[in-house]
Amino acid sequence: MKSVDSDFSPSSLSGLAGNFPPRVLLRASGLTVRFGGLLALDAVDFEVREGEIVGLIGPNGAGKTTFFNCLTGLVMPDEGEVRYKGQLLVLRPYKVAEAGLARTFQNIRLFPNMTPLENVLVGRHCHTKEGVWSALWRGKRFREAEASARMAAAEFLDFVGLVPDEDLSAHSLSYGDQRRLEIARALACEPGVLLLDEPTAGMNPRETQAMLELVQQIRDRGVAVVVIEHDMRFIFSLCDRIVVLDSGCKLSEGTSVEVRKDPRVIEAYLGISPE
Amino acid sequence: MEQFAQQFVNGVVLGAMYGLIALGYTMVYGIIQLWNFAHGEIFMVGAFGGLAVWTALPESLAENAFLALPLIFTAAVFTATFTAVLVERVAYRPLRSSPRITALITAIGVSIVLQESVRLFYPDGKRPQSFPGLVAEGNFSIGDVRIPWVSLFIVIVAFFAMLLLQAFVHATKTGKAMRAVSQDPDTARLMGIDVNRIIMVTFAVGAILAALAGVLQGMKFRQIDFHMGFLAGLKAFTAAVLGGIGNITGAVLGGLLLGITEVMATQYIPQGSAWKDVWAFIVLIVVLVFRPTGLLGEDVSVRA
Amino acid sequence: MTPVPPSASHLTSRHKTNWSEMWRSVLRLSGRWRFVLGIAGALFVWTAAFSPWASFAFGYPGKMTLSGFPGGARVYLLPLLLLVSLLFFTLPVGATAGVRAALGLLFIAGYNFIAISWEGDGVDAVAWGAWIALLGSLLLLWAFASFLWEEADGRSLSGQTAGHTAVKLPDPIWQMLLVFGGVPALLICFVYALDVEESSRFVSLICCLGAGSAALSSLGFFNWTSELLARQRTFAVILLLIAALVFPFTQDGNGYWLRVLISVGVFASAAIGLNIVVGLTGLLDLGYIAFFGIGAYVSALLSDADFTTVHVRVPFLLVLLIGATVAGLVGIFVGAPTLRLRGDYLAIVTLGFGEIFRITMNNWNGLTRGPNGIAGISDLEIPSLFGSTPLNFGDAHEVFGVSLPNFANYYFLCIFLFIGMAILFSRLGNSRIGRAWMAIREDEIAASSMGVNPVRFKLLSFALGASMAGAAGTVSAHVTQQVSPDSFTFMESILLLAAVVLGGMGTIPGALLGAGVFYLLPEKLRAFQDVRMLMFGAALIIMMRYRPEGLIPNRRRKAEFREEKSRFSAGFLKGTGELDLMQQNPVQEGGT
Ligand SMILES: Nc1ncnc2c1ncn2[C@@H]1O[C@H](COP(=O)(O)OP(=O)(O)OP(=O)(O)O)[C@@H](O)[C@H]1O
Ligand SMILES: [Mg+2]
Repeated sequence: MKSVDSDFSPSSLSGLAGNFPPRVLLRASGLTVRFGGLLALDAVDFEVREGEIVGLIGPNGAGKTTFFNCLTGLVMPDEGEVRYKGQLLVLRPYKVAEAGLARTFQNIRLFPNMTPLENVLVGRHCHTKEGVWSALWRGKRFREAEASARMAAAEFLDFVGLVPDEDLSAHSLSYGDQRRLEIARALACEPGVLLLDEPTAGMNPRETQAMLELVQQIRDRGVAVVVIEHDMRFIFSLCDRIVVLDSGCKLSEGTSVEVRKDPRVIEAYLGISPE
Repeated sequence: MEQFAQQFVNGVVLGAMYGLIALGYTMVYGIIQLWNFAHGEIFMVGAFGGLAVWTALPESLAENAFLALPLIFTAAVFTATFTAVLVERVAYRPLRSSPRITALITAIGVSIVLQESVRLFYPDGKRPQSFPGLVAEGNFSIGDVRIPWVSLFIVIVAFFAMLLLQAFVHATKTGKAMRAVSQDPDTARLMGIDVNRIIMVTFAVGAILAALAGVLQGMKFRQIDFHMGFLAGLKAFTAAVLGGIGNITGAVLGGLLLGITEVMATQYIPQGSAWKDVWAFIVLIVVLVFRPTGLLGEDVSVRA
Repeated sequence: MTPVPPSASHLTSRHKTNWSEMWRSVLRLSGRWRFVLGIAGALFVWTAAFSPWASFAFGYPGKMTLSGFPGGARVYLLPLLLLVSLLFFTLPVGATAGVRAALGLLFIAGYNFIAISWEGDGVDAVAWGAWIALLGSLLLLWAFASFLWEEADGRSLSGQTAGHTAVKLPDPIWQMLLVFGGVPALLICFVYALDVEESSRFVSLICCLGAGSAALSSLGFFNWTSELLARQRTFAVILLLIAALVFPFTQDGNGYWLRVLISVGVFASAAIGLNIVVGLTGLLDLGYIAFFGIGAYVSALLSDADFTTVHVRVPFLLVLLIGATVAGLVGIFVGAPTLRLRGDYLAIVTLGFGEIFRITMNNWNGLTRGPNGIAGISDLEIPSLFGSTPLNFGDAHEVFGVSLPNFANYYFLCIFLFIGMAILFSRLGNSRIGRAWMAIREDEIAASSMGVNPVRFKLLSFALGASMAGAAGTVSAHVTQQVSPDSFTFMESILLLAAVVLGGMGTIPGALLGAGVFYLLPEKLRAFQDVRMLMFGAALIIMMRYRPEGLIPNRRRKAEFREEKSRFSAGFLKGTGELDLMQQNPVQEGGT
């Protein structure tokens, strides 16, 4: 099996090709997941290009979260494969994270008894290499690596608008701050693609607006973002491209205008076919 | 070959007792995800409860198996159930929402307290107590295989107890509520099920079965002591894990399998009896490594 | 999403049953009566301290028949009484503290009352002093408790939140002075407590210290001290170290307490290793003592003991390494296939491994001499720093003109061992590795999604913990001079685990304190030998109920044990998934 996708050809690397479409970062093809008799994902194809914000929408139980779980190795697909930058992904959570995919969870999953800074430092895990001996010896290398990891973590905290507090554990943050912290932690992995699962769930309009700006800033840093959301205004004003899932199938795909007009989407959401 | 058949029968008898205890583990685990470490002690307390009543009986009654046996069983069941419900109420219930390790350490504490209470407060409890046999001594034979009447009795009692349990869990309203709670306690509560009561019933049912096992154990070995719950409990828990924890049929199957394995290994492996208590754990480790969900359990392992 | 509610008072804030409502309404006091009863109670206790408690002399320790003399257990009423009197002026803030201190008085009075009537064959043996002590402490308890009921009825007392307000510390100079005074004071208390012989006095002393600390703790005192110690950590550690090194010189050449402290040290060292496994990584290991045993057996076999099967003698430092390595390798061997199992399965597998180890040692006559064990292990010899003759740990030495018993050698070795383990623990804990461990403990799925390979780090933790136990075991074999299978039973594993949990998971002082409690108290409570295990079991239950985070909790981790979070998940009879990302939510239910 060839391991390099044609989209990831050297020519698209060179940067000369201004009129080439942006290269594909993440490509899932034919992802199928079954839970017993339930077909949670049915041969879903999906791709994310560089610098894109992709929205993933669909009614409850459509399989959006399952799709994320599948990409990040928490659920094994029964069929299909995922490629990142052309490389076939080994679907184990930590391998996926190493490769450059980071995510947040629909039900926030922080490390509740660690400080915000420590939470983000765990995100730096892949980018630090210090082992047992180095930790025991505490030589110059270790101290430098540790200091730079802390610096980076503090920067990520700052980026999402949090201040490090040594005496606070993550679980005592407010709900919105927890969401932001989760994003900071994911960003600390320096992913190529960031997967956000309902980042504005439970937020008020003002916080939602702030989240929208935050996601745009993340994209401006050169990270492609896939975001699951039920808030349509949020999705339509943020995403370059929208993918609609329903009962595990990809129903529709396109810009917000295209998706909004698609009769199948309206049917899936309203349960009636438009006249 | 006869020897094999003979040992097989012995294994089934042992396994039936493991299975009875294992049911208590598996049900409690299924409902509140607690490894009720003290369940082995409930088994022991039940046996002592039965013995206490038998000792107190007038001689004419004590000799008569048809009168004494029901009394002993009733007493054992009462003591064990009372203890189990008390323990649930006092020790476990306040910890429902605590981390696992807190609950497990409490369970270990309970186990120690029960053991020590019997050791200190049962008359002469420090030494093994002899237990009445009651069922006719001697054997009957099928071919060359000789089966003691006690063993037959044990298997029959265990079989009917398990049958009743199945009926209880599947045919009664409480049983249905139990299954509902195990699936989703919060929803069950919203549906009007008294979750606390169901949990208590689960402990009680487990205790009843353990008490039966306690008396049967006493009748078979003619002796009980205060620390017999520890090893029996461990092996029964092993049996429950072996069968797939949370699974009732699995617990019985696991018990039988463990009993047979233990007896066979002791018989056929050189010096086997010195290693008697090791086989259970080896089987456990092997099963968990190759089929972490147990024999009948569904896939619940967290993939790394 | 609410922050954790302040949990200063367990007496009031828990489940209010109608039953207790009823009692309250009967026992409620008006302001003046509280005052009167409080004063009366204090006077009674004061009088009781100087009055006879036993009506005739029958050997109950402490000259309890004398009046005008606060001998025996009576003297321990006085510090608590002082505390209570001071607390009067801090009301209503100090109400909880007052209740705790009054409870301490009640325990002292009650224990001695029962003990006297027990030993004197009946209540006749009890003189009026003890009655008055009971009465006085009950009155005090009543007076203080009525303040708490008031609070429960709606008036919030500021004292309840004392633990959560920001801690104010004095100038650094004062901080140093406080530490400088506090550490020796603590040490003097410790040495004093060791010297208290009779169990009645010792129990009373423990009641006094326990109630006093509980009272101070509700005033936020320990938050304050832990903050102080955190600021002045290096200084405090150095002082403690000096104190520990000086201790043998205070023993007049007597080795008894050194011996006890040696076993405390050895077990505390092992407890630190277990702390990596349980406290940092969150893996439940119920067979940890087996790794300790491996170390002990390795050391016993390689030291050419009198009763042994292997006649070689390997230098100790090498033995230490070998023991740690072998234990670590066995740890890997056991852990590699089983560490992907979820918590309870791992617990029973480790338990099973522990039993397998013990039975193997019991049956492997050719190597381990079975149940007889290996005995007559020689004293340690290490190359001397000063001369050509090696330093033999069996010899007594004269240092600075003070003769030290031979146990002092092992004592110092244990201190080094402990320091080594502590450094290992804290350095690993404060690194990328430690953070990965904690992340796995907190949420394995989230950790793996952040790039942490859970199996690898769990294995590392397990193996490291095992080899630390192995190292402690090698020392232990020389201290006890013999090893046999029955030193490595399941109960020993539980004892170690309990030490870690009781002390406070994930902290070094916690491990030391836990080991101290479990290996010192039995020495002091010999009178209770028979009910020792019963008390141990009861203590575990009570501890888990009222202070699950341990005596010296990790500062931030307290919340984990206090938070109301649903541990329920599906799984009975059908067995649905544990990996159920939609339903399970270990952090907390979001405010959707
Ligand atoms: N681990 C699992 N085991 C069994 N069924 C599952 C599992 N995870 C998800 N499902 C089922 O798969 C379907 C898709 O679920 P999924 O969580 O992906 O939906 P979703 O689109 O994220 O919905 P929502 O908008 O409510 O978050 C649902 O019917 C759900 O019940
Ligand atoms: Mg979802």
